[in-house]
Amino acid sequence: MSHDQGQTLVNMVNQIAANLSGGRETADTVEGVCSHLEKFWARAMKQRIVACLDEPDCGLEPLARQAVARLAERRGAPAA
Amino acid sequence: MIQHFDPSQHDKAFSKDLGTPPPAADAAPVSVEIDGVAITVPEGTSVLRAAALADINIPKLCATDSLEAFGSCRLCAVQVEGKRGTPAACTTPVAEGMKVTTQNERLARLRRNVMELYISDHPLDCLTCPANGDCELQDMAGAVGLREVRYGFTGENHLEAEKDHSNPYFSFDPSKCIVCSRCVRACEEVQGTFALTIDGRGFDSKVAAGQDEAFMGSECVSCGACVQACPTSTLMEKSVIDSGQPEHSVITTCAYCGVGCSFEAQMKGDKLIRMVPYKGGDANHGHSCVKGRFAFGYATHKDRITTPMIRDAIDQPWRPVDWDEAITFAAKRLRAIQSEHGRESIGGITSSRCTNEETYLVQKLIRAAFGNNNTDTCARVCHSPTGYGLKTTLGESAGTQTFDSVMQADTIIVIGANPTDAHPVFGSLMRKRLRQGASLIVADPRRIDLLKTPHLEDAQHLPLRPGTNVALINALAHVVIAEGLEDQDFIASRCDTEAYRAWRDFIAEERHSPEASEAVTGVAADAVRRAARTYATAGNGAIYYGLGVTEHSQGSTMVMGIANLALATGNIGREGVGVNPLRGQNNVQGSCDMGSFPHELPGYQHVADVTARGRFEAAWGVELDDEPGLRIPNMFDAAIEGSFKALYVQGEDIAQSDPNTQHVEAALSALDCLIVQDIFLNETAKYAHVLLPGSSFLEKDGTFTNAERRINRVRKVMPPLAGKADWEVTVDLARALGYPMEYTHPSEIMDEIATLTPSFAGVSYQKLDERGSLQWPCNAEHPIGTPTMHEVDFPIGRGRFAITEYVATEERSNRRFPLLLTTGRILSQYNVGAQTRRTDNQVWHDEDVLEVHPSDAEVRGIKDGDWLGITSRAGQTVLRARLSERMQPGVVYTTFHHPGSGANVITTDSSDWATNCPEYKVTAVQVEKVSRPSEWQRRFDEVDRAQREHLATAREAAS
Ligand code: SF4
Ligand code: SF4
Ligand code: SF4
Ligand code: FES
Repeated sequence: MSHDQGQTLVNMVNQIAANLSGGRETADTVEGVCSHLEKFWARAMKQRIVACLDEPDCGLEPLARQAVARLAERRGAPAA
Repeated sequence: MIQHFDPSQHDKAFSKDLGTPPPAADAAPVSVEIDGVAITVPEGTSVLRAAALADINIPKLCATDSLEAFGSCRLCAVQVEGKRGTPAACTTPVAEGMKVTTQNERLARLRRNVMELYISDHPLDCLTCPANGDCELQDMAGAVGLREVRYGFTGENHLEAEKDHSNPYFSFDPSKCIVCSRCVRACEEVQGTFALTIDGRGFDSKVAAGQDEAFMGSECVSCGACVQACPTSTLMEKSVIDSGQPEHSVITTCAYCGVGCSFEAQMKGDKLIRMVPYKGGDANHGHSCVKGRFAFGYATHKDRITTPMIRDAIDQPWRPVDWDEAITFAAKRLRAIQSEHGRESIGGITSSRCTNEETYLVQKLIRAAFGNNNTDTCARVCHSPTGYGLKTTLGESAGTQTFDSVMQADTIIVIGANPTDAHPVFGSLMRKRLRQGASLIVADPRRIDLLKTPHLEDAQHLPLRPGTNVALINALAHVVIAEGLEDQDFIASRCDTEAYRAWRDFIAEERHSPEASEAVTGVAADAVRRAARTYATAGNGAIYYGLGVTEHSQGSTMVMGIANLALATGNIGREGVGVNPLRGQNNVQGSCDMGSFPHELPGYQHVADVTARGRFEAAWGVELDDEPGLRIPNMFDAAIEGSFKALYVQGEDIAQSDPNTQHVEAALSALDCLIVQDIFLNETAKYAHVLLPGSSFLEKDGTFTNAERRINRVRKVMPPLAGKADWEVTVDLARALGYPMEYTHPSEIMDEIATLTPSFAGVSYQKLDERGSLQWPCNAEHPIGTPTMHEVDFPIGRGRFAITEYVATEERSNRRFPLLLTTGRILSQYNVGAQTRRTDNQVWHDEDVLEVHPSDAEVRGIKDGDWLGITSRAGQTVLRARLSERMQPGVVYTTFHHPGSGANVITTDSSDWATNCPEYKVTAVQVEKVSRPSEWQRRFDEVDRAQREHLATAREAAS
């Protein structure tokens, strides 16, 4: 099993996005995922996932990527 | 340390046997006169009970207030004015104006005759009898003034009847039996197991277990209710036979499961002789299971760690040191690591077995002295989805009812829980309600024992595939909506309209219909429809769920799905309904309440909430981090990556209880400082640098909070073996880290909790002693606590329906791993088994086995008892096979009570999307016959041996 931490975090966001997408508007999903990360993720994890935005093929699904980009914006880091 | 005197802990009403159970509390009052004393009691009270309440004590033998009256011994005969004969006081209810005589010459003669008959077939070895001093037969012989036995002892009798010592905790000596049938009735009425019968008639009648076999061979589950009910020494605890009658007792709370039974710890000096479930216990009303009543021997087991120990590296032997040196060593290392790797490089894990006060202190230590929010608890791996799911929908992270509420339920849904094994005392209560005719719906891959409840009226089993819970709950909700079974009034008045509309549109989609989801869940559509109708139209529908709901990749979604269903049918906010998580360990609820989670301060107040955080900062005198910290699995990942270096673990065994053992072992081995505080050298301690002796629940004061939010007192009955209670150790560590905490008694910790946690504002030790227990929220609005939640509104105002999309788990069976493994627990063992394995409970379960369906076994050529290699993508282990049809084909099952079985070597790091609660309940595996233990097990044995030697060396050095 892969235990690259970045990869683990990417999988986690994708899983959150998958669970928050069915039956919802895209905008709600993105907002839902972003605030979930804000509320439950540790600082280091947030920094790490935001850094993943710089890697084009990090594996973030589209909605997950939008949510992380929003997180980056809100934390004042430049969104990729 | 100050010892607080507890004058009120023994309530007189509970220390006396009133003969028959109380009638309904709201019954109309009836006035009677007994021996000239006027007394008013509720209608339905027996004459025997009414008299006892007036302290008029009518002799009795077959009656006891935990059982319905039976009227067989005739000792309680009385005379009622205007009535002929001498009716039995225990079976005669009071009637308005009734005049009763309980003592006169005629009654005395009658009673002496009764006693004479009993005694003529009873050994007269009272002086050497284990029940001497606690025998109702002896007491009654005295009370009726028996002076001679005319029949002699030469006739036919039972004095030579053979004893049965097969049960490890109690003996059965039929020569002393008076065939009062209290044991038989206790087994039926209280426990619900029906293991005992009266065999034969008249003189030949005798008590028999099962089909007249030894207790151990029968269906007996060793709850001990019969032993407690027996008025003679026929059924007697072996500990009393060995040590004699106890001389004082203390009321305390069981430290095993989330039922939180109250016990009288009966002592001789500082030696615990027996645990007797306390009649005044609000959670258990005088009942218990085999663990709480009997399995306390671990507390004095020779394996207990009694001195602090340290070492520089984990391949070194332990060095026994005094408390000061150990604490200083630990504090220095923590500070050194923080100055090298940063403030966030260390963290801690609180325990769901320790008290609320201890848990509170550990998270306080982490937040205030470590300076970060890297605190988590083992509730992460069991009920964190409950917190998330219930908070999102109902606004509070807790179950909505009391246990007693089940007695008002008309339909009971049990999802992914096995109450007769995991929450036995509540399981017994539920069975009682089922015998009274409530309908049962079980949604579980396994055919759990509850479905085998004797005298069950109506039971439906929905045997779903592991991992498809959400698809099933959506289908149930779909039926409610599609068939118009929702409670419109409740929804309109109590729920958020917009959220409801969105949810209704979602759930009404055809893809959620039982017909559509049948292919996913494997449950027939008409069975789902029938279950939904039964629940929605029941009157009172109650849902109980356990780890089979939470320990999934969609655990949180499922919890919300359950809440949706309850909201849609209006089954919230009164007795008999509700959403009820059955918690695993004794203080899972409490450890969550006490702020163990990295994102929440005590009372579920988010760390980013400025006002709440400000209160804590003012009280604690430090600035607190406003970002959540790491959760347990994140800590492990960070440890392996090298950014997380030290961990303080109080009373948890993460190396055994957490999934993907090899990953956990890698993480623990990567730490520079692991501080383990535990009563035994557990699996985690094998990777530790500092080992601090913990104290058992018998050795400290504090509180536990059970699954019904009930705060119960834990009272110290013996001094801590190693000199310190766990909370004192945390205080010492804080001081050594330069953050002094000043407490002289756990009551002061509770006072601090009350000032900082709105739902605990009204809690104090004094009030707990007065009332016995309190259910939070307990504050100005609810000064004596809150038995039923959400009666008027929700903490978030209106109930919020949540969209619950079914997302299939990635743990799917495939060609390589064609079977699904699911895990669970059994009655006699507890969690990782560290305690129960060190008691005679071992006789019921001394190894974990793999249950395999015969059809899966057949294609693999597996026979009962074969060694099986079980492989998942995480690892391999070897267990013995047991063929069983409790699961459907394609599903295998095991328990995780023994470390060497390595059940968690195969569970993966797949986890709940919202909380990272691991998906214990679904792992794709392959199973095949093998001839030797797995590589992990061989390595485990090596490490185990080496670490035990390190401990032994240290012990020698210390002695
Ligand atoms: S110990 Fe419990 S289960 Fe066993 S016979 Fe007695 S009452 Fe029944
Ligand atoms: S074993 Fe005890 S409780 Fe059972 S019938 Fe005999 S005396 Fe009564
Ligand atoms: S283990 Fe649970 S059910 Fe058994 S006595 Fe303890 S609290 Fe009660
Ligand atoms: S106590 Fe009433 S008949 Fe036995």
